Amino acid sequence: MRDGQDLMREIVALVAKDLTLLLRDRGGFFFTFIFPLVFAVFFGTIFSGSGAESRKLPIAVVDEDSSADSRAVIAQLDTVAEFDTQGMSRGAAVEAVRLGRRVAYVAFPKGFGEARRRMFYGRGPEIELGFDPSRKAEAGMIQGLLARHLSAQVGQLLSNRSSLRSWIHETEVSVDSSATGGGRRGALRRFLGELDRFTGEVADSTPGAAGDGGGWQPVSFKNVDVARVRSGPRNAYQVSFPQGIVWGIFSCAFGFGLSLVHERTRGTLVRLRIAPISRGKILAAKATACLVAIVGIATLLLSFGALVFGVRATSPALLAIAVLSAAIAFVGLMMLFSVLGKTEATVSGLGRAAMLLMSMAGGGMVPLFLMPHWMQTVGSFTPVRWTILALEGAIWRDFTLSQMALPCGILLAIGVGTFAAGLKVFRWTEG
Amino acid sequence: MTVPATQSHRDTMLRLSDVRKSYGKTVAVDGLSLQIAAGEVFGLLGPNGAGKSTTVALAVGLLEADRGTVEIAGAGGPADPAVRAKLGVAPQALALYEDLSGAENLRFFGTLQGMAGSALAERVRWALEFVGLTARARDRVSAYSGGMKRRLNLAVAVVHDPPLLLLDEPTVGVDPQSRNAIFGNIETLRRQGRTILYTTHYMEEAERLCNRVGIIDQGTLLALDTVERLIAAHGGRSALVLDENGTERRIETEDPAAEVAKLARRGSLPRFRLEQPDLEAVFLNLTGRHLRD
Ligand SMILES: Nc1ncnc2c1ncn2[C@@H]1O[C@H](COP(=O)(O)OP(=O)(O)OP(=O)(O)O)[C@@H](O)[C@H]1O
Ligand SMILES: [Mg+2]
Repeated sequence: MRDGQDLMREIVALVAKDLTLLLRDRGGFFFTFIFPLVFAVFFGTIFSGSGAESRKLPIAVVDEDSSADSRAVIAQLDTVAEFDTQGMSRGAAVEAVRLGRRVAYVAFPKGFGEARRRMFYGRGPEIELGFDPSRKAEAGMIQGLLARHLSAQVGQLLSNRSSLRSWIHETEVSVDSSATGGGRRGALRRFLGELDRFTGEVADSTPGAAGDGGGWQPVSFKNVDVARVRSGPRNAYQVSFPQGIVWGIFSCAFGFGLSLVHERTRGTLVRLRIAPISRGKILAAKATACLVAIVGIATLLLSFGALVFGVRATSPALLAIAVLSAAIAFVGLMMLFSVLGKTEATVSGLGRAAMLLMSMAGGGMVPLFLMPHWMQTVGSFTPVRWTILALEGAIWRDFTLSQMALPCGILLAIGVGTFAAGLKVFRWTEG
Repeated sequence: MTVPATQSHRDTMLRLSDVRKSYGKTVAVDGLSLQIAAGEVFGLLGPNGAGKSTTVALAVGLLEADRGTVEIAGAGGPADPAVRAKLGVAPQALALYEDLSGAENLRFFGTLQGMAGSALAERVRWALEFVGLTARARDRVSAYSGGMKRRLNLAVAVVHDPPLLLLDEPTVGVDPQSRNAIFGNIETLRRQGRTILYTTHYMEEAERLCNRVGIIDQGTLLALDTVERLIAAHGGRSALVLDENGTERRIETEDPAAEVAKLARRGSLPRFRLEQPDLEAVFLNLTGRHLRD
């Protein structure tokens, strides 16, 4: 008599066989992994504009000072390779950050230019930096880049000793020859002499262009929290990856359904049935293999998306629930695929047609929010739609557990329903 | 070749009792009964569409009989997985995973039979050696020739060393080399005491391998006995074929030696050959000469 360990070993053997066959079937591998990946990357890239731009930090720039100084600094910011700057009003900038369209805003308040001219005494000019608290890392980077570029300007001026000194000397000459009163003239001369000496000292102590000005801060930052409302995907890949994953899951389920037909027409199902294991176990193993493959493919694609394109879930636990629910739905569909026809040709043709239609209606090709209303209604009858919603819920829609319950519940119901329907029609023998 | 035609119940490895199976209006197997004794090689012969494969499918539980019972080794019917564990089957239609290698197919099906570890590895090695596929064990089955696939189909049937083998036309479509190799395999299995149900269209295979033969047509057994007794009963008479200056003359006779002696006594013995009844004659006499299908 066989014990539980034997049965487990048999199921594992059946699952391993199916997964091996999947990996060895080049066409199947292409449609379950390569194609979805290409789809996700291709459409993600198209909708993000050019790839180079997508890596820049989008920041909003608010110029409330409108002085020559603030304009000069902004012009300088525009040349920073890491930034994608856009000038706007304070209100628009705050809104852009709140909606996540811009990572941060940089505001130059009134009086910036004036403060900047008081270079070596009093409080330095202040720049306001607004960002979502969850994006501290990016804000820190922006602040660092700003500080570097602004002090580089000062450093340049200071390090260019000869030009500064010649400016001082020219000024001394013009002060001497002017009609300025004796007391003020003396004070000015003293100041310029001091400045001349200071310039020499500072320039000597800061050989690099990006010095910190000898302990003096050329600019200070005021940080403002802008709590973000998450109303849309943060980047196009967060839309294209769920779509790509649905293609992968769909192809996988379809491939397994086809493999059941294949086993029947090629006679291997006969061998499985003669073996001393029950029919229930044969199908359970097929379903398990399909489930494992789907979860594996989704995990691979999601990992790729996370590592290369920053497609990260706000909640990994909810993402796991979404993937598992989708996998169960599509295992049910696998069973239904396998009874679409008697021959592989019929099943393959009908299956592909179903895949195309469901993907189209369910948002697998065009994002759901871009589709006409009637099509969205049709789409809500497809598992594609609910899979995408569940994945997006975990990736950028910030679903709560109870919001996740709807798509996942529907997916589970689809899985159970289609599996039962497929099982009812399934034939073990040909003819 | 001297297994008695009747066996005690205990030693019966396969018993079909009055089984019937129809596909719609086609009656594929019509009230067939037979018993195969332990250690016996039983040949089931019949023209295309006679019901051989259907009989095998009923015996191993792939089909459920409309009527009648199947019992394996006195342990019950093939619906019980524990009973199926005693079976090794080589289906007429090759049943192999083309994208797995020969060794992988054997390992997979061996695992389903409850084998594991070194015992499994040992049996896989043995089975590959048995059918001469050791050198190609790692190649995908899709790269095998027809003969190699047939041999692997047999190897999968025996990898778990079952006591009862059902081989449905195990030599169909192979070259003489593979065919001889498969004959050799079956003779080895017979020497090892395996019970074998063997279906074929090739009469000389049955004459060479089988203790007893059943001839089936249109789902019913027409005759069932040892080869010698079948020939004696249904082979018809021997014939002397005389070559008299280019024209042939047949003389049918019960006693060819006496006939030759009679001709010799007349003093004019021409060139002649002797046609003795064989299993093919039995087969054609029983099933007729008209085409099937
Ligand atoms: N799945 C099926 N559906 C309908 N009829 C079938 C089916 N399988 C077999 N038959 C019919 O049952 C009869 C017996 O077929 P079976 O395959 O058992 O014959 P066989 O003796 O194995 O023939 P062959 O020598 O050609 O393999 C034939 O008339 C065949 O047409
Ligand atoms: Mg047949």
